[in-house]
Amino acid sequence: MASWVAETRDEAERNLASLPALTGQEEDWRFTKPASLGMDGAPLDAPGPSGSPRVGDEAGRAAWLVLDDGRPAAPNVVDLPDGVIVAELSDALTAHEDLVRAHLNSLVGIDSHAGALNAARWDGGLFVYVPRGVHVERPIEAVLTATGAEGRIYGRTLVVLEEGAKATVIDRYVSPDLGGTVQASTVAELVVAQGAELEHMTSVSWGSGVHHHATIAAAAGRDSKVRSVVVTLGGDVVRVEPTLRVVGPGADARALGLFFASDDQHFEHRVVSVHEAPDSYSNLLYKGALKDTSRTVFYGNLIVPPGAPHTDAYQTNRNLILNDGASAETIPFLEIETAEVKCSHAGAVGRVDDEHLFYLRSRGVPEVEAKQLIVLGFLQEVLEMVALEELREELHEAIAAKLTPKVAAS
Amino acid sequence: MADPILDIAGLKVAVDGKEILKGVDLRIPQGEVHALMGPNGSGKSTLAYALAGHPRYDVTGGTVTFNGEDLLDMDPDERARAGFFLAMQYPVEVPGVSVLNFLRTSMNATRGEEISPRDFMKAFKENSALLEFDSSFTDRYLNEGFSGGEKKRHEILQMAMLRPKFAVLDETDSGLDVDALKVVSKGVNALRGPDLGCLLITHYTRILRYIAPDVVHVMFEGRIARTGGPELADHLEENGYVEFGASEMASAPGA
Ligand SMILES: Nc1ncnc2c1ncn2[C@@H]1O[C@H](COP(=O)(O)OP(=O)(O)OP(=O)(O)O)[C@@H](O)[C@H]1O
Ligand SMILES: [Mg+2]
Repeated sequence: MASWVAETRDEAERNLASLPALTGQEEDWRFTKPASLGMDGAPLDAPGPSGSPRVGDEAGRAAWLVLDDGRPAAPNVVDLPDGVIVAELSDALTAHEDLVRAHLNSLVGIDSHAGALNAARWDGGLFVYVPRGVHVERPIEAVLTATGAEGRIYGRTLVVLEEGAKATVIDRYVSPDLGGTVQASTVAELVVAQGAELEHMTSVSWGSGVHHHATIAAAAGRDSKVRSVVVTLGGDVVRVEPTLRVVGPGADARALGLFFASDDQHFEHRVVSVHEAPDSYSNLLYKGALKDTSRTVFYGNLIVPPGAPHTDAYQTNRNLILNDGASAETIPFLEIETAEVKCSHAGAVGRVDDEHLFYLRSRGVPEVEAKQLIVLGFLQEVLEMVALEELREELHEAIAAKLTPKVAAS
Repeated sequence: MADPILDIAGLKVAVDGKEILKGVDLRIPQGEVHALMGPNGSGKSTLAYALAGHPRYDVTGGTVTFNGEDLLDMDPDERARAGFFLAMQYPVEVPGVSVLNFLRTSMNATRGEEISPRDFMKAFKENSALLEFDSSFTDRYLNEGFSGGEKKRHEILQMAMLRPKFAVLDETDSGLDVDALKVVSKGVNALRGPDLGCLLITHYTRILRYIAPDVVHVMFEGRIARTGGPELADHLEENGYVEFGASEMASAPGA
């Protein structure tokens, strides 16, 4: 291992040991118990394997990488333009040392619990590099699985798009329903240079038993377009923290979120955009549905420090509750320290409108299907901003599965 | 006389604990169009919603036999699949659900089998031509931003697509300009025949000039107060509902 890698890992491990333990009393840890996500990094017994997860396949992908329990594995490069690199990240530490070194840990530091934990422990990950002006048409996908063979798993993604490059990258998280708890920690760093376009999707599709802390950080360069799309459907406790750093004027950065919580799932999304450059645009739009006794929390913040005039920054979170017993909390925040900015923020929690349901049912559509249409319709506003077409179909199925009454196992 | 497609006997319906329908008796033979008139608040929409199975309307007494089956025993979606249709007085907007997706889903549901995309588009094109429904609406969301008249036209388009055995049209004529009224009437008349029964709720004889009713009923304070031929509608237009007990002021038709 190159010495800079070992040094960072050691420092991260030391930080983890020396940071005061999270208690859940901290302002930003009020909603999700830090212990449930294993933020102290304590070892956890493996629940034992419970069948194989549905990992999908490489059809339609430019490159494809499966990391079982986070172990390094070779990517399957299907069809990549010249100069584009898709590699397993630990491999890239040596094979593409200069590129990786320049960007790894650049957007997610090692001085927070989550950052230190991941930096100290990750084994395998995804590295994507797209050179100047190159467009990768098909998505590049990495799948992190939890099989139950490990109690704690880690994933790490680094995406670097040079000037004018374009790509779609998917980080997918899957497992079967597990017989016990697995704690997952993931970090994705997305570096998007001038005029480049990135759509990054985080698909949280775990089975039951998984507790997941995910950090996503993007830097949007001058005139770039960045889409972080977070789709949270699976896992018992999931906390996702996407941060958009708008570092160049003219950038258009969007943090889009879609979620559907059911049973006693607990999802927290903490979404932030920071305008470090003037004349830029950001939009945080998170919409989700809840049923059963699930709980979701949205915390959003638009930060416009001094020196970023002509910022347009918007933030919206809407939640659709399907039954009593589910609860959604929404906390939209603003920290505006520049004049001449256009900002808005809105948060709302509403029930499914009985009149909508009746209208659809009066046209013969059964209740489950009618709710499916309503939930998908509710999410449509976000879907419209996502280029990846297949997401619609995927969501359709996931929503149907959540709405269809479970047949009790006999 | 044909068997009744709809047979309502002694129907009592309460809303939020308040009894609105106080024993409605109404028989509609299959293939006939019956008009239902009556002053504001007399319970016409209540009857329509109760027949469609709206959960807010509590049936507290009576029976409804639809095509030989107990209608009240069915869920709203089962009623639609059994061939019952309600064109609503105030169609709701459902955000994010596209018109085409909605139409296809409801067609598949009522037919009980998947319609091929080709047949679906064919039916859609034919029926939207019949109802002069702008095809650019297909990409829009269900009733969202539709004008009042467009919503009504869209209701009849759905009726044309779903081919019900029986339809209640609740003030489909209200808010329509003359041209739209003609188009909607043309649509209903095209569907009219031995396999469609219709209850047409209206305040005006205007629509009845285009869609000639076989029978006219008057609803007053939650009951059918009189039943007659088409001439009854003209009589009501002239005299209002005073003779049924309404005060002079409130009795002007459509007040
Ligand atoms: N949800 C409700 N809660 C309370 N009262 C209701 C409700 N819906 C209807 N009503 C009452 O029931 C009565 C009948 O209303 P309904 O809508 O059936 O009248 P209508 O004959 O259709 O009138 P219009 O000609 O104005 O459409 C009215 O007095 C109305 O206020
Ligand atoms: Mg009415």
